[in-house]
Amino acid sequence: MRKYLKRYRANDAIIGFLYILPYVACWSIFLAYPVGYGFYLSLFCWDPLRGSQFVGFTNYQRLLFDPRFINAILVSLKFVVMTVPLVIFFGALMAFGLWYLRHYKKIVSISQALFFIPYTLSVSVIAITWRWLLDRNVGFFQYYMSQIGLPVLLVDPSLALPTIAFVTTWWIAGYRMLIFQAALEDIPVEVVEAAIIDGASFRVLVMKIFFPLLKPAMTFAIIFTIVMAFQMFGQVFLMTEGGPGRSTELLALYIYRSAFDYLDLGRAAAAGFILGILVLSVSLVWIKKGMKSALQ
Amino acid sequence: MRRGNITYVIVLTLLVGLSIIWFIPVIWMIGTAFKPQSDIFEVPPRIWPKRLVIDNVIVISTQWPVGQWFLNSFVVALGTTMLSLFLSIFAAYAFARLRWPGRDLLFVCLLIFMFVPWQINIVPLFFLASNLKLLNTLPGVILPMAGMPIGVFLLRQFFLNIPGEIEDAARVDGCGRLGILFRIIIPMSGPVLAAYSLYIFNYAWNEFLWSLICLQRRQVMTLTIGLKLIQGAYTRDYGLVMAGAFLGALPSFLMFILARRWMIRAFVMASSVGKG
Repeated sequence: MRKYLKRYRANDAIIGFLYILPYVACWSIFLAYPVGYGFYLSLFCWDPLRGSQFVGFTNYQRLLFDPRFINAILVSLKFVVMTVPLVIFFGALMAFGLWYLRHYKKIVSISQALFFIPYTLSVSVIAITWRWLLDRNVGFFQYYMSQIGLPVLLVDPSLALPTIAFVTTWWIAGYRMLIFQAALEDIPVEVVEAAIIDGASFRVLVMKIFFPLLKPAMTFAIIFTIVMAFQMFGQVFLMTEGGPGRSTELLALYIYRSAFDYLDLGRAAAAGFILGILVLSVSLVWIKKGMKSALQ
Repeated sequence: MRRGNITYVIVLTLLVGLSIIWFIPVIWMIGTAFKPQSDIFEVPPRIWPKRLVIDNVIVISTQWPVGQWFLNSFVVALGTTMLSLFLSIFAAYAFARLRWPGRDLLFVCLLIFMFVPWQINIVPLFFLASNLKLLNTLPGVILPMAGMPIGVFLLRQFFLNIPGEIEDAARVDGCGRLGILFRIIIPMSGPVLAAYSLYIFNYAWNEFLWSLICLQRRQVMTLTIGLKLIQGAYTRDYGLVMAGAFLGALPSFLMFILARRWMIRAFVMASSVGKG
């Protein structure tokens, strides 16, 4: 029997190649190859009339001196700094609340659904909905906010970006809630109950039990939220079109516009490559962990 | 636990309150989609209309090719789901169970590339799609999404946990690799396949950026992209825009109502491989 199994293993390599082939073909053509191709394109000055010209790193150089690109980087960074803490805070708040009330199964499942449903909707649906909720003339929310003296959020240069950050939080916090809920479920209830009976204070509970046990989930939720926030596009594209002024022109919107409004494809490719490196450097931590588990 | 009871009531009130407030935009969107035209500019605005009419949906479907867009979205979502399942099942099995040269290296590549954002790819992908004559075609949107590695990660993880002894027994009984995959592995993976299908279907239905670039012609647009046109066409008639948004949200609502547990499980699973 052992011999029989061994002969099987010899075939494994061939079968393995056959099985992996269709996927790898699709992946390498549409996901991997474009990355290299994008870098290649970023070295050219693209001109539909005279043909493209190899210009080396000129596009990157031009980017560094392009105030609009610098603005986009700064806006993106500001957006990340605003969005990530909000998302983590609300996600954790929801998860802790639901965990605390875990014996009320019905209420928990309904509240969980209400928190989570926004994330299952398309960015165009949520952006359009919020755009009209905050419309200066007819917006439902804007009406009541104006009643209490707040300015029109989406046309105020200093408030537009925080508003987008808040809408994004509304959209994705429910997903972070799920991640934290999954982590909380793994915490042995007996440990917590024993600590409470022993008279542990709230602070001790949080610092000595919840925080250490949730740290891995927290780390990764933060990384993914950063990565996600760097890639946001639809909200600003549909709600503010980067305005007022350029106060909400995120990096992704800058890239889209350079490419498809100004047809400066070399520059767009270069900016895309920079964004890719930014995102990759943030996600390196996770990649390392993934590698370990892959090669174990 | 008397003190506990008071805290319970407070937490309960706050949390339920928060979840209702959280959901107001969705309720408003649905309500406005079915609001009579005459009530649109009512002051103060209402969250839910006094009476519900279907006029907005009818008007929007006659002024825009909403039916076509809905169908396109459905083709894209279903096509992505089927193709991704097919590709990922074989690839995941090859990663989980078969030894072949270069396996670990390829896996690391998949991991790294998983974090490459669409934004870096849109320009080269645009050229690529144009060279392959895939611009303004639905396969042009389906193929890049079907190539995403998340399904491979999810299924590989699940396959790894299926005991190898079951396979060995099947082999001794003369079952080939393909037989093992179809008679043992796939039937045993029902839950993970179902959850992944829901996840990728929802993802493909909602995809925005690449579809926006790839699908420029009106007839081939998906609903999420068509919504942008609808949004741009009306400056005040937002009841019509919300009717469009409602149609765009409908599949997600349905999936959530019909299979809430599965949807949640799908997203929890997806998060475990670090996507989203």
